[in-house]
Amino acid sequence: MNNTVVITGEFKRFIKFFRNELNPRGKWLTPFNVISIPIILLGIAILYVRFTQGLGSVTNLSQQFPWGFWIGFDVVTGVAFAGGAYVITFVVYVMRIEKYHSIVRVTVLNGLLAYIFYAGALVLDLGRPWHIVNPIIGNSFGFNSVLFLVSWHFLLYMIAEFVEFSPVIAEWAHWEKVRKFVSALTLGAVIFGITLSMLHQSGLGALFLMAKPKIHPLWYSEFIPLLFFVSSIFAGLSMIIFEGTISHKVFKNLIGEKSHYSYEEIILGLGKGAAITMFVYYFFQSLIFIHEERWTLINDFWGYWYLFEVIGFVLIPCFIFAYAVRNRSFGLIRIASVISLIGIILNRLNVSVIAFNWNAVNKYYPSWQEIIVTLMVIFSEIWVFRWIVVRMPVFSKTK
Amino acid sequence: MEFYYYVNIFETKGLEYLLLICFLVLFILLVRYISTPEKKK
Repeated sequence: MNNTVVITGEFKRFIKFFRNELNPRGKWLTPFNVISIPIILLGIAILYVRFTQGLGSVTNLSQQFPWGFWIGFDVVTGVAFAGGAYVITFVVYVMRIEKYHSIVRVTVLNGLLAYIFYAGALVLDLGRPWHIVNPIIGNSFGFNSVLFLVSWHFLLYMIAEFVEFSPVIAEWAHWEKVRKFVSALTLGAVIFGITLSMLHQSGLGALFLMAKPKIHPLWYSEFIPLLFFVSSIFAGLSMIIFEGTISHKVFKNLIGEKSHYSYEEIILGLGKGAAITMFVYYFFQSLIFIHEERWTLINDFWGYWYLFEVIGFVLIPCFIFAYAVRNRSFGLIRIASVISLIGIILNRLNVSVIAFNWNAVNKYYPSWQEIIVTLMVIFSEIWVFRWIVVRMPVFSKTK
Repeated sequence: MEFYYYVNIFETKGLEYLLLICFLVLFILLVRYISTPEKKK
């Protein structure tokens, strides 16, 4: 009886606290709000049409091109960008490199939101979205299907990331006992999350193994899973550098002076990691290039396009990262991170959209509605990220 | 009588081994390069 009273009282306190937290903070008329609000509203209107009149009413998808921009960018690219979470948690909780501890919370939050929004965008692209629960509830299990593995991993990884982030929520809500309990679960969740991440980052690549006749041979390889996994490491590191740079400007008042100083050292470490993984990735690409005797394919548009991607967006940013780290040039590290992020977008879109059905007579181009909905997903994620960062102790441990 | 013959590295995949050796050497050089900061003049 006593416990019930305590829980009811606490519940009432939390509801009051949460309603108070819902009140907007800061100015409404900011350039980001002015741009993002109309796009989000337009995106919601397009989604209404999509769910009432079907995929064909707003997308250029067809039987020949069942996967388009939503899968290629939102899901395949977005999940690669979220790779920073498993890399940083591995470095901090498993390798015990404490230097990166201050960015764990924000990186995990980024990863969690990326999975919720980008992997969640998968629902938009399913002709019958209510079937998304089938792999989970056991209706038509496809044990041998890569998609079965990926869907289970997405679900489990989101739960693992939520557990990793839950101490922040408990701290924010002033639930001390809950915080102690969920903090004890962190290491287990991290190890579980890293295992899941490694498998589904490569699993996303493995999805394309069955499309051998459709993907241009310069992008198709039986090693796509390995390439997707290795590239997700430097994609994640570059995303942390890019996102951290913006966060350190936008949320300057939430971050202490000491953190600003240590962040420069963190950026150097991340740049070093990105340079090394990009070099390894470039080596794998070269090895596959030779192993599959691809030089016969190089002297046409697709060959030049492939070289543009691999040299322009992997090898060059790798060298820029290395040069910038050696010379402690933070500006150059940021430039290299942007180039490598563009490279990841290009690579994922090449595999899933551009070089997919490359010899088809009718090409696929995303409709304007597909682009607006993608922007809506990105802006919505930033809105939620901002809401959480402003209210919860993401950048610092105590409020 | 034995004859010398040249190995076709494309068929024997010798090129892949060469690439691997080059990679290992370049990898060590890269790690050394980024691990030692540039001395200020």
